[in-house]
Amino acid sequence: MRMGAGDRYAYKTDPTHLAGWCLCALFALAAHGTWAEEANERVTVADPYLELHTGPGRGYPIFDIAQRGESVEILKRHTDWFKVRTERRKEGWVSRAQMEATLTEAGETKTFRDVLFEDYLARRMEFGFSFGRLKHDPLLSAYTGYRLHENFVAELTVAQSTGDFSTTSLYYVSLVSQPFPDSRWSPFFSLGAGRFTNAPKATLVSAAETSGGLANAAIGLRYYVTRQFFLRVEARRHVALINYNSADHFNELSAGAAFFF
Amino acid sequence: MANSTISRILAAAAGAIVSAGAAAQSPQTVPEPVIPAQVDRRDVHVPKIKANDVEIGAFAGILSVQSFGTKPSAGLRLGYHVTEDYFIEGTYGRSKVSDQAYRRLGIPIFSSEEVPLTYYNLSIGVNLFPGEVFVGKDWAMTSAVYLVGGVGNVKFNNEGHTAYNFGIGIRVLPKDWFSVRFEIRDHMFSSDLLGKNELTHNFEMTLGLAAYF
Repeated sequence: MRMGAGDRYAYKTDPTHLAGWCLCALFALAAHGTWAEEANERVTVADPYLELHTGPGRGYPIFDIAQRGESVEILKRHTDWFKVRTERRKEGWVSRAQMEATLTEAGETKTFRDVLFEDYLARRMEFGFSFGRLKHDPLLSAYTGYRLHENFVAELTVAQSTGDFSTTSLYYVSLVSQPFPDSRWSPFFSLGAGRFTNAPKATLVSAAETSGGLANAAIGLRYYVTRQFFLRVEARRHVALINYNSADHFNELSAGAAFFF
Repeated sequence: MANSTISRILAAAAGAIVSAGAAAQSPQTVPEPVIPAQVDRRDVHVPKIKANDVEIGAFAGILSVQSFGTKPSAGLRLGYHVTEDYFIEGTYGRSKVSDQAYRRLGIPIFSSEEVPLTYYNLSIGVNLFPGEVFVGKDWAMTSAVYLVGGVGNVKFNNEGHTAYNFGIGIRVLPKDWFSVRFEIRDHMFSSDLLGKNELTHNFEMTLGLAAYF
């Protein structure tokens, strides 16, 4: 994360070049994914008909239908839309609501359920970002979390705050406790430790970069919205351990969005 | 001890009754079922369907930094499509800024004429106006206009600036795993490089390619 001499050298590789190479690698990967097709799932239409849209969204026009009793092949999913191929080799996008009324080969229904609250309770990995204030300066942070236990999540946070006089970077690990993990509105408590770096603006004279240990504690609230998505707000108090006998305190207030997998 | 003795006696008694019952039934044969059961055990499973909600891509274009010239820019994007309407996206980009105009007047601002600029941001996008783009007679591609806005950091001349961005773009999908995007975005941040702290508007115009995973 440190921007220094190394960063300037790295820049010598032309940015357009870099992007080009990354893109080539990506397309190789994506193309590989599309070739390696396995046997697709088949379902039978149980509603009077399935509407086939040209794209994965309700605004895209309906160009064809699959009739009751017809068997359709499911190719892929994009958000809440499924791409299907009919017996007449037409390919189109069908909403999850309509897919729910189909039958699998085993005669089962209700297999296209949404990501439910139960999945939220069974989650393992989380990823989120938030925006807030750190002692009057704007703060942007990103975190990744791993759920260790029903009530505990271990989190790794990287945050950066750029104010009028300096840029502060924070890196810390924290243990988050949720006393009511089964609730849609779930309060949490967090204790963290890590490091901070404060780099003053280049236009300021005689200002040196400071870094040191960091400890913090927070209380917050998270709200499960829908699918893999939840919101969180938190108030955190940071203690920056500048040296052996001096410490500085600052408060953070932030709100953000997060996802679980 | 007394308990176990009692239970043993009871068990013996029960055994005697059951064997008597069995003896009484033994002459009878088991009747043939009227309808023979034909039960196949089926494999019940929830379909595993490949999702492609993650969009990874690269872009290139031009970035105009207020008072510091217009230079080529390029970068990478990582997005996640939450619903058909919303997506979130992280962007990392690089470009250059130049103080050539000030140098010509003998007041250089940077240590050299061109210095690198890097930025990152996290943004939320809203898809509007879904539709189709028609190329010729036989080719239709799905498309959408989107608005995007977020917050991040722009760094150049060893100085970071918290930047808010807002933009509009059009996304066209020639294949459903591959998108082409054209976008115009304003990166807004406050800068005091020219003596006074003021909000600057820095427009970037990009063309991006991305794949869905």
